[in-house]
Amino acid sequence: MFKNYLKIAFRNLIKNNVYSFINISGLAIGMAAAMLIALWIYDELSYDSYSRDKAYIAQVYQSETYNGIVDTGAAIPRPLEFALREDYADNFEHIIMSSWNEALNLSYEDINLTFSGNFMQSGAPDLLELEFLDGDENSLEKLNAIMIAQSTAKALFGDEPAIGKTISINNYFNLNVSAVYKDLPNNSSFSSVEFIIPWEALIAASDWHKRVRDNWGNNSFQLYVKINPNTTMEAVTQKILNVKKDRSKDEAEFNPQIFLFPMEDWYLRNNWDNGVQTGGRIENLWMFGIIGVFILLLACINFVNLSTARSAKRAIEVGIRKSIGSQRRQLIFQFLSESFAIVVLSFVLAIGIVLLFLNGFNALASKSIVFPWSNLTFWLSALVFIVIMTILSGSYPAMYLSSFNPVKVLKGAFKVGKNSSLPRKILVVTQFSISVALIIGTLVVIDQIQFSKDRPVGYDKEGLIEVFTLSDEFDGKQDLMREQFINSGGVVSMTTMSSPTTDVFSNISGYNWEGKPEGFQEDFAFISVHYDFVKTLGLNVIDGRAFSRGFATDSSGVILNKTAVDYMKIQDPIGKYIRHNNPSTNVKPYKIIGVIEDMVVTSPYSKVKQAMYVFDTQSSMNFYSLRLNPKNSISENLLLIESTFKKNFPNTPFNYQFADEEYGKKFRAEERIASLAQVFSALAIFISCLGLFGLASFVAEQRTKEIGVRKVLGASVGQLWLLLSKDFITLVTIALAIASPLAYYVMSRWLQKFTYRSPLGWDVFVIACFGAIIITLITVSFQAIKAATTNPVKSLRTE
Amino acid sequence: MSILLSLNEATRSVNSGNNKVTLLNNINLQVKEGEFISLMGPSGSGKSTLLNCIGMLDNFNGGGYTFLGQPVHSMKEKKRSMLYKEYIGFVFQAYHLIDELTVFENIETPLLYKNVKSSERKALVADMLDRFNIVGKKDLFPEQLSGGQQQLVGIARALIGNPKLILADEPTGNLNSKQSTEIMELFSELNKEGVTIIQATHSEKNASYGSRIINLLDGEIVSE
Repeated sequence: MFKNYLKIAFRNLIKNNVYSFINISGLAIGMAAAMLIALWIYDELSYDSYSRDKAYIAQVYQSETYNGIVDTGAAIPRPLEFALREDYADNFEHIIMSSWNEALNLSYEDINLTFSGNFMQSGAPDLLELEFLDGDENSLEKLNAIMIAQSTAKALFGDEPAIGKTISINNYFNLNVSAVYKDLPNNSSFSSVEFIIPWEALIAASDWHKRVRDNWGNNSFQLYVKINPNTTMEAVTQKILNVKKDRSKDEAEFNPQIFLFPMEDWYLRNNWDNGVQTGGRIENLWMFGIIGVFILLLACINFVNLSTARSAKRAIEVGIRKSIGSQRRQLIFQFLSESFAIVVLSFVLAIGIVLLFLNGFNALASKSIVFPWSNLTFWLSALVFIVIMTILSGSYPAMYLSSFNPVKVLKGAFKVGKNSSLPRKILVVTQFSISVALIIGTLVVIDQIQFSKDRPVGYDKEGLIEVFTLSDEFDGKQDLMREQFINSGGVVSMTTMSSPTTDVFSNISGYNWEGKPEGFQEDFAFISVHYDFVKTLGLNVIDGRAFSRGFATDSSGVILNKTAVDYMKIQDPIGKYIRHNNPSTNVKPYKIIGVIEDMVVTSPYSKVKQAMYVFDTQSSMNFYSLRLNPKNSISENLLLIESTFKKNFPNTPFNYQFADEEYGKKFRAEERIASLAQVFSALAIFISCLGLFGLASFVAEQRTKEIGVRKVLGASVGQLWLLLSKDFITLVTIALAIASPLAYYVMSRWLQKFTYRSPLGWDVFVIACFGAIIITLITVSFQAIKAATTNPVKSLRTE
Repeated sequence: MSILLSLNEATRSVNSGNNKVTLLNNINLQVKEGEFISLMGPSGSGKSTLLNCIGMLDNFNGGGYTFLGQPVHSMKEKKRSMLYKEYIGFVFQAYHLIDELTVFENIETPLLYKNVKSSERKALVADMLDRFNIVGKKDLFPEQLSGGQQQLVGIARALIGNPKLILADEPTGNLNSKQSTEIMELFSELNKEGVTIIQATHSEKNASYGSRIINLLDGEIVSE
């Protein structure tokens, strides 16, 4: 029986090849899109899945309140470690202090390379679940040890054994390789830990770290923990919540809250808004999940519409089958098995499409997803998916087709009722509402990105490079290097900076100034710069002046950005002082010498933070900022700069970044979302048009006789085209009316995320609606014009 | 001879707008096994409706209908479908073969609905093809056959379930006279083998093949 059904199904497919093509390709494209989205979601969800004990691992986070605004982050003070070890040790299996993941220069013989890694305490290998390939896994206990990842070992030593070799770190530490571990997977939070150096080695070498041992106000470190299996994250958080507040009188006013941020949330739920966890990547997962379901729905709608539209053709068969003994149940089963066959066929095609586009998709989403051939769960879900698709697309047509009365259809008196096309119309409206809403959404995302990209950044980011000067050997050589760089001809101006133009490494509080409001809890971005800061970056001084060699006192000067002036509520700032709260410290007061236009440093979507730019007297520079010589090509300039650099620092890798490229990276996440959204909304509208094309050809076919008669009576091609097209245009117009307010509502909420946001203008809606109408017209007109230009004699002869 | 079916005051009416239209009015009819009945009458006199109701594709909505002693009028749909699957075969004026199936498969289809095993199905269909001399055409599709050949397949399909009753609605209406004669001769042959036949026809000549002629007019039997 089943075989017989399949036979009929396939013969029907071949006979009605246009419809089959529309049905199968629509379904296949829809399924392929859904499959790609599913693979992507699965990949995102499996981030950090290498970790078996993920449920017990957390990073210690801190929230503090400044002027009523809660700031949450991973940075914690050093004494927190000791407090936890002394009073809460029984909650933890590991308490591990860590530095930030930073890039250091590793040298072995004449190989100098930069890797990123952490200084961590000895529990790290267990917390990171490292797999050791060689050496001693407990060697973080030793001060002169370094553990390196396999790829690091390969880069430094090639095929030679790594254990026991001495590596020079930033030409400062000399450490012996004590263990080699397997690289952590790319999709894990610790993937950039390419080496681990004992935390104690850092403490031993750094006076600064020793000084802040008991300083609760210096939040410069990270702390990872693994809790005991007999407790929970919530329980531990409850215990340690006020540990800092209770122990530090000075900090209590900021209401510091210490809590555990579970590893399971690191990747997907890492957004904080005023102290509240507000999602993160998980929102994108939901968004694309919903888009995937929508696309599938669109494909199913095509199927339903085309099957029911063509019901008249199948009616006779239903009549015959009923008259020779088929029950309705059997017919339903027959039509469902036809749908099943089509869905399976589409699924196979969809796999082909996925395989074809997986590389492109990976590039677009910056993923390295491989097709899960051997994943049983995948195939089981695929099976469930096929069944669901069959039911979704096949059940309505099956119920509808099997309901025909055999007497009526066999008599040839079968006429589809006047309202029988109503469900079809509703479905077309649904389809176009979804696709137009997706298009509007995508346009808004693109618009927002472009709007933020066009935002004035306050400095000239083109032709500006930043050379990393991470090690101590650069100390005190600024003036020498500036001279040499300029003499080389590759550079016209240079300054040094403690943070790059695209990030803030340091924030500061605890200062006082004339007119500071009572109880004001200040918080500034704090950047140390050097001479020619304004000139090199191309900043706009709006009040006062830049740091100048002509004024010896400028070494204790400070330049504020405009936001800082507004923030401090300071009148006529030039010449006024900013003093440290604690007069006993011998920090000199900062004299305000200039105010610059705001520089967009962190997120291009948010407000610029109030910033203090002070003159670097402590060698806290991390970068040379170089303004390239505009007369040369960039590559010429780079060659000149590199040779000058190498002449002075032969054993240090020459690492640099372009300011504009770094700035561009800030848009990557959104751009990735936008390009994915573009692809999927294009697919959505394509699938909808495919369906519309099918329906249009059906209608043209159904009205062949009418068209013939009208033509004989003198209707022009244009009139016939209008006759056939206007119904569809009406439907699409209704869809536009539904989609626009819906998209407006959703997208204006999405835009709320950004402080600096594009106004949601009518132009986006006009473009989307106009586009949808044009696409509809093109789709429908093809069939309409074909029908309208057919010789009427031919079409009238068909009956 | 035993009675195959009997109609007692059987009525069929439909609502058309606000008017009730009576298609069949108080039909009393007894059909014995082995009869060959021709229904005659002008268009719209109710011939087809009567055939459809007897064939259980349509239902009377008044009066009694007994088939092989069982009251059809009070049966559930499923039981009725079992009954006609077992005992009744249809032949249509427009043949009504399934376009997507070959000759062989068309003839085979009723057996599928009777859940006959595959090997048995093949044997039965092969016999039928043999009997009608269309073995060579078994893999052709309906559109590749002449009208007469298609009707032959239609009859073969009606016969494959070994029915007691064949209902034929203008079986030769789309055929030329030579083809008509062949089909009618086939019917009379079948009748001789014991199959009861009821046909609706306009043609006196075709009606004469039957053993009994019933004339209908406006939904009533006017003469026999």
